[in-house]
Amino acid sequence: MDILGKSAVELLESLKKKEFSEKELFAYFHKRIERYNSKFNAFLTLAESTDENHEGPLGGIPFAMKDNFCTKGVRTTASSKVLEHFIPPYDSTVTIRMNQSGAVLQGKTNMDAWAHGSSTETSDFGPSKNPWNTDRAPGGSSGGSAAAISAYLSPIAIGSETAGSIRQPAAWCGVVGLKPTYGRVPRYGVVAMGSSLDCPGPMTITAEDAALVLEVIAGNDSYDATSSPVPVGSYRKEMKKKRKMTIGIADEYMENISDDVKKRVDEAIEIFKKQGHTIKKVKLISPKYAISVYTIIQRAEVSSNLARYDGIRYGNDRTHFGQEAKRRIMLGAYTLSYGYYDAFYKKAQQVRTLIIEDFKRVFNEVDVIVSPTTPVTALKLGEFEKYPFFGEVMDILNEGAAVSGIPAINIPCGLDSQKLPVGLQIMGNYFDESTILNLAYQFEKETNYFDVIKKGFERYKE
Amino acid sequence: MSSTHTKLSKSDILHLAKLANLSISDAEISKYESQLAETIDYVENMKELDTKGVAVTSQTTDLTNIFFDDGLVNNRALTSEEAVANSKTKQNGYFKVKKIM
Repeated sequence: MDILGKSAVELLESLKKKEFSEKELFAYFHKRIERYNSKFNAFLTLAESTDENHEGPLGGIPFAMKDNFCTKGVRTTASSKVLEHFIPPYDSTVTIRMNQSGAVLQGKTNMDAWAHGSSTETSDFGPSKNPWNTDRAPGGSSGGSAAAISAYLSPIAIGSETAGSIRQPAAWCGVVGLKPTYGRVPRYGVVAMGSSLDCPGPMTITAEDAALVLEVIAGNDSYDATSSPVPVGSYRKEMKKKRKMTIGIADEYMENISDDVKKRVDEAIEIFKKQGHTIKKVKLISPKYAISVYTIIQRAEVSSNLARYDGIRYGNDRTHFGQEAKRRIMLGAYTLSYGYYDAFYKKAQQVRTLIIEDFKRVFNEVDVIVSPTTPVTALKLGEFEKYPFFGEVMDILNEGAAVSGIPAINIPCGLDSQKLPVGLQIMGNYFDESTILNLAYQFEKETNYFDVIKKGFERYKE
Repeated sequence: MSSTHTKLSKSDILHLAKLANLSISDAEISKYESQLAETIDYVENMKELDTKGVAVTSQTTDLTNIFFDDGLVNNRALTSEEAVANSKTKQNGYFKVKKIM
């Protein structure tokens, strides 16, 4: 069976042609997990496949799911000891939609505890490792999902973002990661972190797979009042249209990045030019302010969302919170209650408005904005402890899209001098996932991401 | 970065911990004093932006007044057995809590 590195679209084709059965496909990935999981710590809990012949747009395709999505009957911990033994009595909307599409759950992936972090090192169940170099972090918080895709332990994975938690680990592990528009994919049944920010999304090895998964999980849900009634696009069809775009580049998103990252991103921009796209300089509010807005709003929402963990109805009591969660809860309590509400929370909400207006203005002039996804490539494990602000610094280029709610994607654009993947970010206008997927697809067809994804899993051929 | 430096005292930290119902050790207190202050110093940069008369954003996609349709059945409601299944302190299908009165 020649399965290694096949995309979900290709696997669906092979299943249709009966090159192998669903059961064989599930067993193939299960075996890879058994072989490699101790190396990467990507999965925390494995599910068992039961029946065969799943119907639907993802019929028979195995998938990994971040451990903050409730899965009925399958342990869901958000990588925290508070939820160490929690068996959800219900499915998240994304879980329901993946199941209905015929996708088959392989297991639940490791993450920063409560999704608080950008390296997967705050997990109470040990860090995940980057398959490109196991001394390095996979990024986070969806680090387990990113590692699973990078080493091809799963063909598709579900991650979630509050700010950067899909794009940043996708960049560091060299895979495709899409953060949809806020409200495009329902949050019902996702362990809540920052409720005005949280976005579930796909992590895949091709842009088309990301579009395929998005078509399955996107759409209004009456159980999430913040999910959008805007109709879901035909992303796979739209992404293949030949389009010439105006691509915005902002100096503010090209500053303070490593030379290696800059070089690869500049080369990617040259490729876009060669393809006939127009590059246009635009001016954006510095992302350093998005960090502040994000820090205030997210901590405030964390302090409220994590108040529910009382150890009475489910889970362990509050003595089981790790340091990062405690730090965030207390800062949230501070900004909301200390008589500093206007100076911090309200100010952050106002600056959030400025950032939204700024993006809306620029999207009148350009179709997309391109930048690096991260200022540097994957750091060594342990680095994060040196900075209490680690996540925010690593996610600086992701936070504008997060606080404004616009969609953005990471695609690989080459390797740095240490042979680590570099990520390119494409940001788009509200609910315009089709356009960023279209440009990602064009880049993929032109470059095959410089074989980054292929080189990633070819290290783990057996 | 702001030139003023925020100071948080031990009693500030203890007060925040109490508000959030968190137990913290002495070692954590001194760590949080400096870490929280450092974060607060950073976010002071928002003052550099003029927000006079700017409306606040609490929802980014402009949704308003979302209601459950009349007559819609909540088909995701849990049974009482399901609802208490994960509780360590339950009795006769109820959550057991400490006496409040």
